Amino acid sequence: MPEEAKSTGPEPDEAAIRDKLSRVAQLLMFRRHRQPGAKSWELRKTLGRNYREIIDMFDREIQKIGLVVKRVTEGEEEDEDSARYYVTMKEHPVLSDRTFGWRIDDMAALTVALSYILSKRGKAPLNEVERVLQEKFPKWRVGYNIDRFIRWGYLSEDDEGMLYVGWRTRAEIDQKTLLEMLLGKEGGRRVGGRS
Amino acid sequence: MGSTKKEREEMMLRIIDLARSVRERKVDPFEVEVWKLFDRLHELLPKIRDPRELYLDILAVLGLSDVVYHQGEWIKHRSSLLYFDPLLVLWKLRSLSTEELARVMLKSWHPIVGLECITPQGIREAMNYWATLPSLAERGEGLEVEEIETGKVAKEELEKLLLMERRDFTRTLDSMHEELKAAAGETGEVKYWDFIHADTFEETVKRAWLVSFLVSYGYSTLEVDPLEEEITLKPLERQQVASKGEPFSVPISISLTEWKKRRKQNA
Repeated sequence: MPEEAKSTGPEPDEAAIRDKLSRVAQLLMFRRHRQPGAKSWELRKTLGRNYREIIDMFDREIQKIGLVVKRVTEGEEEDEDSARYYVTMKEHPVLSDRTFGWRIDDMAALTVALSYILSKRGKAPLNEVERVLQEKFPKWRVGYNIDRFIRWGYLSEDDEGMLYVGWRTRAEIDQKTLLEMLLGKEGGRRVGGRS
Repeated sequence: MGSTKKEREEMMLRIIDLARSVRERKVDPFEVEVWKLFDRLHELLPKIRDPRELYLDILAVLGLSDVVYHQGEWIKHRSSLLYFDPLLVLWKLRSLSTEELARVMLKSWHPIVGLECITPQGIREAMNYWATLPSLAERGEGLEVEEIETGKVAKEELEKLLLMERRDFTRTLDSMHEELKAAAGETGEVKYWDFIHADTFEETVKRAWLVSFLVSYGYSTLEVDPLEEEITLKPLERQQVASKGEPFSVPISISLTEWKKRRKQNA
């Protein structure tokens, strides 16, 4: 029996890896909780200790079709226990293609809110953000948008009325590019920024 | 210096408030002279006897520690790749158009890819929910509401309410049509509010009501300028029925406040 197992050795391994790759796809792409993606402990539990290797393999596969695995941790530390993995688009969408149901005004409002918060070291009072937004958008729309951005996870709010960058922003928005694009632009024409 | 209890408390409360302002990003943490304030607290400590004062002292020390923490965070942020001058960012946000701001977001956006699906557990939960859900009749129990059906206002009712004279309705409309044409004069148009405005609010509402029939029946056109928020009536010599396009309604609100405001303006 051991001899037989040896002769067919590589095939079960390959099958096991393929199985694990499909499990990663299910865990990361099918939404099972309020938030999409999967926590590191869930992946470890399902894929075993070497789950990061499997994720790397999966990442290489989906990059071929324009997707990428994004790892987001709580805070700035490289804390694997708090890490959450998502599948995101590798490149950014193009305005002429589609905006995934977003209004241009709402995208602009999110840019304003995020840029202001980021320039204030990651948190800013709600009333200040509202004031800045009201310079460009109607008052009724400002409150409505902030509520939606909080609900969708782009912003978060604490009990003291401070706004922070939310989990979805950390997963979806390249914050450095956002600020670079903002400061690299002159009115009416695009000057720089990473595409 | 600072020896009375009141002065000591005021000093500590000022420090606590200053620390809160730093925490709320209202004050630059480096504007706070932390060592000087710690020295002041150090001087006050031997004089403190009251537990309330001790409590304030603890809060003040914690507040100053928090300021030091924020100074550290500030340095970390300034040295990070994410540091951009807040004033410059604000200036840019003000100068860019809505579309340019949207483009900024698009260029830095990598949306999450995910699929919505229902799991066997989700189906089980839905079934349990459905099985234990009370019927509509049961859910409505206890709500004491009186149902009032909408209805049509009969001609007689209008007569009772003095909204309509006893004359034939068509004749009333004809008379209004003539009045509208006269008001429009050579220009062929008249401002809606100028035309319907009357000495009393009731009469104004009545005129608006009759004008709505003139427009609906094709004796006048009604144009709304959304930018200027002006409504213009253009009477037609003969009845014209719109031959193409979808018919649509234009709701016009006539409030007593608005009427009073216009009456004041006209006066």
